[in-house]
Amino acid sequence: MWIWQALSGILLTVLLVVHMVANHFVVEGGLRTYEDVIHYLSNPFIFALETAFLIVVTSHALMGVRAIILDLGISPAADRRLKAVLVALGAVIVAYAVWLTGSVVLRA
Amino acid sequence: MDRTLSSLPVSEHVARASWWRRAAAWVDLHGRREGWLAFILMRVTGIGLVFYLFLHLTVLSTLARGRQAWDAFIALARSPLFVAFDAVLIFGMLYHGLNGLRVILLGLGVGSRRQAVLFWGAFVLSIVLTAVAVRMILMMG
Repeated sequence: MWIWQALSGILLTVLLVVHMVANHFVVEGGLRTYEDVIHYLSNPFIFALETAFLIVVTSHALMGVRAIILDLGISPAADRRLKAVLVALGAVIVAYAVWLTGSVVLRA
Repeated sequence: MDRTLSSLPVSEHVARASWWRRAAAWVDLHGRREGWLAFILMRVTGIGLVFYLFLHLTVLSTLARGRQAWDAFIALARSPLFVAFDAVLIFGMLYHGLNGLRVILLGLGVGSRRQAVLFWGAFVLSIVLTAVAVRMILMMG
């Protein structure tokens, strides 16, 4: 698990910098207007990049939550239940965010 | 060696070092304390960032409610309180990322003798870059 957390962490440092620069630092005023958000997400490359960021950040976050809970000392059975809950939660988060960005793009 | 000096809770290399290093030992949070501080800050920023991830996705859901809802959020995001929140968030992201790189290096057996320096480097760099980012936000606003 450590290696996945490390690899996703390294990937995140790159994706987060790209996300912050693209969404804030190169945008006039630092925040996109409604039309600007739709235009931005309508680019297939950006959509793929933001979706990759979403998947990596969600999995990194939930693996971190598991690491903290494991430190509290839980049984293997409880860990199996925890993993199932976190995987389901991760799937819901990614599905919701992809639906949200997809529905925004369809308005373009 | 002077008994008083040798009884000071400083590591051997500091006790043998030059005067300014001995003086620095007064504020030297050496060894376990830095490791502990780095660990606690990593956990606190990590938990904070998980909550922020949920908050960020919730806020972005205003996009689904149309332009008026989005404009209202943008107006809120330009308030001084929100910029203060941004500063805390940016520090959290920077520290978690930079200390994460430190943890990876230590996990690979690189720089373990310099772990305290790496921690302070990550901590100070996070503060400096947060200040730069906040200045940029204020200039953009």
